Amino acid sequence: MTSESNTRTPDQNDLKLRASIDRSLRQPVMFFFASGAVWLAVAIILGFIASYKSHSSDFLSGIEFLTYGRAYPAHINLLFYGWGCQAAFGLIVWLLARLSRSECRATGIILTAGHLWNFGVMAGTLGILCGFGSGKPLMEFPPAIWPVLLLSYVFITVWSFIQVRCSYGGKTYVGQWYLLAAVFWFPWVYLTGHLFVFVFNGHPVMAAGINAWYKYALILLFFTPVALGTAYYLVPKITGRPIYSYSLALYGFWALAVIGPWAGMQKLAGAPLPQFMPYVGATATSLILIPGIAVGVNLLMTLRGHQAHVVASPSLRFTIAGVVGFLLLGFTGMFLSTPAALKMTQFALTGYGFEILAVCGFFSMCAFGGIYFIVPRITRREWLSRRFIGWHFWLTTYGVLTVVVCSIMGGLFQGAAQEAYSSSWSDAASRSYAYNVGTTVAWGFIAVGSFFFLIHLLLMWARLGRRSQHPTLLGGSHSEQSPHGPDHEVEELQTVEA
Amino acid sequence: MAKSQHTNKIDRPDLEDSTNVVEKHEKLLEISASQARENQISETGMEPVSLWVFLASAIVLLIGGGVLGAGGKLFSYNPHPEGYTRPDFASDADTGPTIGPIVEALAKRGKNIYAKCSGCHGSTGSGDGNQYPPLAGSEWVTGNTARLAQIILNGLSGPIDVAGKTYNGNMPAQAPLTAAELAAVMTYIRNEFNDVGDVVSVEQAAGAIKVYESRPQGAITVKELDADHDQMLEGEVVDPSTSVNFETLQPAAAE
Repeated sequence: MTSESNTRTPDQNDLKLRASIDRSLRQPVMFFFASGAVWLAVAIILGFIASYKSHSSDFLSGIEFLTYGRAYPAHINLLFYGWGCQAAFGLIVWLLARLSRSECRATGIILTAGHLWNFGVMAGTLGILCGFGSGKPLMEFPPAIWPVLLLSYVFITVWSFIQVRCSYGGKTYVGQWYLLAAVFWFPWVYLTGHLFVFVFNGHPVMAAGINAWYKYALILLFFTPVALGTAYYLVPKITGRPIYSYSLALYGFWALAVIGPWAGMQKLAGAPLPQFMPYVGATATSLILIPGIAVGVNLLMTLRGHQAHVVASPSLRFTIAGVVGFLLLGFTGMFLSTPAALKMTQFALTGYGFEILAVCGFFSMCAFGGIYFIVPRITRREWLSRRFIGWHFWLTTYGVLTVVVCSIMGGLFQGAAQEAYSSSWSDAASRSYAYNVGTTVAWGFIAVGSFFFLIHLLLMWARLGRRSQHPTLLGGSHSEQSPHGPDHEVEELQTVEA
Repeated sequence: MAKSQHTNKIDRPDLEDSTNVVEKHEKLLEISASQARENQISETGMEPVSLWVFLASAIVLLIGGGVLGAGGKLFSYNPHPEGYTRPDFASDADTGPTIGPIVEALAKRGKNIYAKCSGCHGSTGSGDGNQYPPLAGSEWVTGNTARLAQIILNGLSGPIDVAGKTYNGNMPAQAPLTAAELAAVMTYIRNEFNDVGDVVSVEQAAGAIKVYESRPQGAITVKELDADHDQMLEGEVVDPSTSVNFETLQPAAAE
């Protein structure tokens, strides 16, 4: 299995450098992953409640702060800012430190800024639940929160930029392009979106357009590059093979950079905006498949003939599921951007399905891959249970697929029913009833899966992981040869010691 | 290595002279096994990009171009893009609602009937300002319904003052009209061009036709209108928001 991956044995200095980088970052990275996982669990429960209410409006109807209008935005915002952004911060900070081969010297500041971010997310979520939400999609946190989040973002990521800037040794690696791009794109997108919606006194229709753009820009210009950067790191790292093609990587990166910023305004098709805005948005969304093809071909060709790695390694399995999710995102985006679908789905559930596919089906899967890789290194313990990992994988995969399929299909039926304006509105709701029930059940499954993930991660955080030399692999016993690379003499020593 | 663990046959490197145990243990303390077993990332490969990738991208681009092309004139502000506005109730293509307020049901029919009036009075009811008087803002339209019904049924000859201006022409008789048609066109011109806000019911219109039939043939004059017909039509006043079936104009059963 590892015949050709044995070729390069790292020297002692490399090993020491890795160890010192991991030690310098163990607290902030673990903090981001663990608090992200907690917010993810809360977001999933809120998603379950919101989805339940969409078909049975009497559910929890006595509780004011869990009404649909509050539970739903709290769910989406926590998914993006509580889980997504924090997982991304952990990945960016750790991967860029490793790739620029330097220890982090600002651990304390990153950790403080991370606490500030969590405080902002907590205050914003409580604001939404208590009825102070702003009502702008994905900007529902009360308007006082966003400068706090932006400030803490700067203090979390600026060190990674400095590390890359100060590292010597010439070449930048593919993963670094994506991660650095994400570091720069986030503040641009975040600041532009919030300034035009909350600060500048522009035309309200234009503000709504920028609000719609912001959601797609956040997905395509922050979550996407972080996920792809992680995938480009993990695939060659775990298989020990070089990335298939440099040219293809270049092509995929620039395709994303050129196409990504245009997407989003198709939400406002039919609104009194210059027509090119929604239609360019629709076009860009349908073109997302181009970087999808480039990345998919590149990573899958790298893995060709090494499928055993994907089966055995939890990191690789999640990552490849994420890459497939990116391809699905491209196809779905293309389908939903056709003028007919655009018109029909404008006020339906389909948009939600697309967002969940992007955040949970694509980004989160790659982030889980990264977390399963990074946590054993920074805690110096192995994952406790391959069953936990397996359950997490299958429950999440099937759960997210079900949510996505139910939302998109249900949304199409709902949209078609809304077009028949002579019949009553409740008709349209009843058409998607069965799909809404399916979504609720699937959120339940995802909740169980992420519960296993959360427990597992918290046990690792408490340093209760296995003290073993053997990685936790899926399928096969613990003592089999590792797909993460050959075991070294350190192992012999500890065997003796034990 | 893994095998030795199972067979419980352990190599003992610390008994070999060649191994510095202190040094090894130091290393062990600072480097975890997961870090030690990691591969190094190799240089990125230089495989040529397959033409299939470009072909697939070209197909995606074509589809994207189709989406962009569907946008039509990209730099125009079109407040009513095709497919995003409802068709007009009165248009032929529209099947429309079958149940709704009586004022809408009558106005929808009235618009079709008004088509033959619009040649003189204009499609917006503004007249031509010279020979044909306007209906919009005309006190003869907004005022008593009996006068209006008789003008429509009998036609009108001789001078008439409309909106502060005297017109002297001949309006041809529009009869025969059914009661429903008369009610529809009167409701239409009273509510579309003016802002009266009531409906002329079919029952009221039937009464007006009876009056018309009992009167000798020939166009009516202003003098006769003022003398005999300066009143509202008799019959029960219908609430304009009453829900009716658009086909039969009968009250719809409460749903």
